[in-house]
Amino acid sequence: MSNNQQIFEDWLEGKLTEQQCQQQLQFDPVWLDRMLNVQAMRADAAAPRFEVVPEFDSSALFAKQWQRPKPQRSWWPQVSLALSCAAMLISLSPAQLQLKDGSLTLSWQNTEAEVNAAVSTALTAYQHEQQQWLLQQLDFQQQNTSTQLVLLKDYLQNELKHDQRSDMLQLVEYLNQQRQSDWQYWQENYQPVQANYRPTDSYYLSPTNTGVVKP
Amino acid sequence: MFKRSDESLIAKALNGDQHAWQQLVNRHQSALFYFGLRLLGSQEDASDLLQDVLMVLCRNLGQYRGDSSFKSWLFGIANYRAMDMLRRRKYTDSDDALAQMPAEAAEMPEQLANQQQQQQVQQQLRKLPIEQRLVLELKFYQQFTFDEIATQLAISSNTVKSRFYAALDKMRLQLESDHVEQSANF
Repeated sequence: MSNNQQIFEDWLEGKLTEQQCQQQLQFDPVWLDRMLNVQAMRADAAAPRFEVVPEFDSSALFAKQWQRPKPQRSWWPQVSLALSCAAMLISLSPAQLQLKDGSLTLSWQNTEAEVNAAVSTALTAYQHEQQQWLLQQLDFQQQNTSTQLVLLKDYLQNELKHDQRSDMLQLVEYLNQQRQSDWQYWQENYQPVQANYRPTDSYYLSPTNTGVVKP
Repeated sequence: MFKRSDESLIAKALNGDQHAWQQLVNRHQSALFYFGLRLLGSQEDASDLLQDVLMVLCRNLGQYRGDSSFKSWLFGIANYRAMDMLRRRKYTDSDDALAQMPAEAAEMPEQLANQQQQQQVQQQLRKLPIEQRLVLELKFYQQFTFDEIATQLAISSNTVKSRFYAALDKMRLQLESDHVEQSANF
């Protein structure tokens, strides 16, 4: 690419002004003529055109090629959704519809007061219920304690009786053992002596070989 | 006012939006018509070309991938169709329709000031071979770069430049011969 061609193309692309290009190409008539031709064509291109552009209805062509029939839409789902939303709004809003004595009344309630009252009522009911439950629990506890005390008393009494009886039996057994021991001791130590000793005026019978002899 | 890009209009049109299609057509149909008018020489042929290009565009709208500007892609179609029309009817530069054009345009008072220079340019353009005329048309009237013209015509950028400079030189020679003829007449 020659230097002049580069200058010319720079001017075509807008990198050089017309004056700069003319100045640089002034000694080359071929490139200057090309430049003049380009200027003439640019002027012609910039001139307005007054020929009427013919009307061409391309909409039918477009419709045939790209437009699809719109699907038949059923409105019932939308109606259903709208009614559901309305019902939800009515239920959530403070508005109240009341049918009373054949007349429909729309009223707006003070939700805060209503909520406070409802909370207060609920709290009172809860308190009452709790008190009742506490009383019941107390009563039940008392009954339970009494029953256990009675049972404990019976148990203690039974134990005491059992112990007493056992003690008595032991005492009786001890006494019997003691008597038995005394008797044995008496037999061993005093009976022979007693057998040989009899006062004269003894009233008691004294054994003889022939039988009992009364004094 | 916000102007939608060609790409967004195409996307809308592909979804069946007729308004977007009409906007797209309105945006480019004048340029296409005047392109046809300069290249083919008669309003009937330019109108035929416009309809032809719009029909092809409508059928192939979905094939536009955005690799180049939409205008460049559209004029790629228009070039092909115009060349096809010229080949089919064995177009010649001596066509009567071309000679009638300046006469029709001269009826408008706004054109009187530069009428002579424009007529001269138009006459010189008409005498050029169609390939060279097409390059000048795309370069100066449609404002495409050499690379865009090369893409549209499916030739190399150097070939485009070669045709461009050959056309400019031919115009210069025609101008010189015209001056010689005018001098001889005097």
